[in-house]
Amino acid sequence: METERSSAELVDDAVVGQIARAALLATLLGAVAPISIPIPLSPAPITLQVLFVFLAGLLLGPVWGPISILLYLAAGAIGLPVFSGMTGGIGVLVGTTAGYLWSYPIAAGLVGLLVHRGTELRDPAETPIPLLVSVLLGATLVIYAMGTGYAAWLLELELWEATLTFAAPFVPGELLKIAAAIAIVKSGRIRPLQS
Amino acid sequence: MLTYEPGTTLAHRLDPRSKLAFQIGFAATALAHTTLPALGALTVVTALVLAVARVPPLRTLYAYRFALVLLAVAPLVAAATFGTPWIDVSDGVTSAQASYRVLLILLVSAAYVRTTPVRASRAAIQRTIPGKPGQVLAIGVALVFRFLPVLRADLRTIREAIAARLGTERDAIERTTTIATLSLSRAFDRADRLTLAMQARCFSWNPTLPALSLSRRDLPVFGVAIVLAATALL
Repeated sequence: METERSSAELVDDAVVGQIARAALLATLLGAVAPISIPIPLSPAPITLQVLFVFLAGLLLGPVWGPISILLYLAAGAIGLPVFSGMTGGIGVLVGTTAGYLWSYPIAAGLVGLLVHRGTELRDPAETPIPLLVSVLLGATLVIYAMGTGYAAWLLELELWEATLTFAAPFVPGELLKIAAAIAIVKSGRIRPLQS
Repeated sequence: MLTYEPGTTLAHRLDPRSKLAFQIGFAATALAHTTLPALGALTVVTALVLAVARVPPLRTLYAYRFALVLLAVAPLVAAATFGTPWIDVSDGVTSAQASYRVLLILLVSAAYVRTTPVRASRAAIQRTIPGKPGQVLAIGVALVFRFLPVLRADLRTIREAIAARLGTERDAIERTTTIATLSLSRAFDRADRLTLAMQARCFSWNPTLPALSLSRRDLPVFGVAIVLAATALL
């Protein structure tokens, strides 16, 4: 059996904390995949995944936020049932909703970069609300642009057809998720790890 | 649900790295081609893969039922047009062929999921991606595997507690905020305890991994993977 004979190279304290939080947030992203909350007058219920993508950027920052989402995608790729409908496998990562999945790390990175303005983490509770709203709206746009764009290419649909099927039903839910993300960080109950 | 099941098929004995390479090759060529002959060839390959891995096709299709709904809707949406003749058959057929290849990709990846334990995939990640990124990815995936049932149980507890207090009668935004705050603060509490535990156990960048060995039977799989990937360029 192959063994490593070199001496152990310990992981820095600050990095251990971020790895653990990134891994647990990735897990949570998978665990909430089956949960949906109905909203009145809308065919599509709220799912919590995009909310946790926002929170990954807000609470883990521009480096560990995207890493956390990549962990989620990797865990799904090797077959853990973390994608919607409790599925997994590389197939989902190129399937109909793949555009959405690949947009998550980009959106989390964008949110982290604009809110923390660098790799040094700040408390997002101190960020002004208008900035938070516009950043999260921008991230939502990125997610939907990539999600519908990829679906349109993959399934040979016109862009408007893809928008109708893959985006329009979900818009009311998105606005609620932005409000929820802001309420959560403003409550100050969960803070980023500051090194 | 689609998960790893122990077995002795050829697919179980292959190295995870050759199976990953095969899937990537298959997906690459399937995404590049939607002609009928190509779809026929891909169907034959998929059927072989399912047979070798002894994957029950119907149960697998059921596991992917939500994806199947979208795949079925897409050709209908593509076929519908405004004004006469209302239905554009050729648009629908094009989209149906595009949908079908996605189904094949899903089935091939199901064969991997069913025949590969998570610890083998983890070792494959760590050996394939060099340096610290590979370590972080592998450790992270292992932690996700470990904590998924724990956080699912946390979420269940939280939702039952909310329901017991009639929280389900509240408006959507308040319910969303409550579930997310509680689940996240629990998850981060667990992360902070995990950090301490990992430090106490000398969490390092170079742990000992389970053994993986490429054998002679992996060679043809790699060969097919390369051929499939190359056909994407045809």
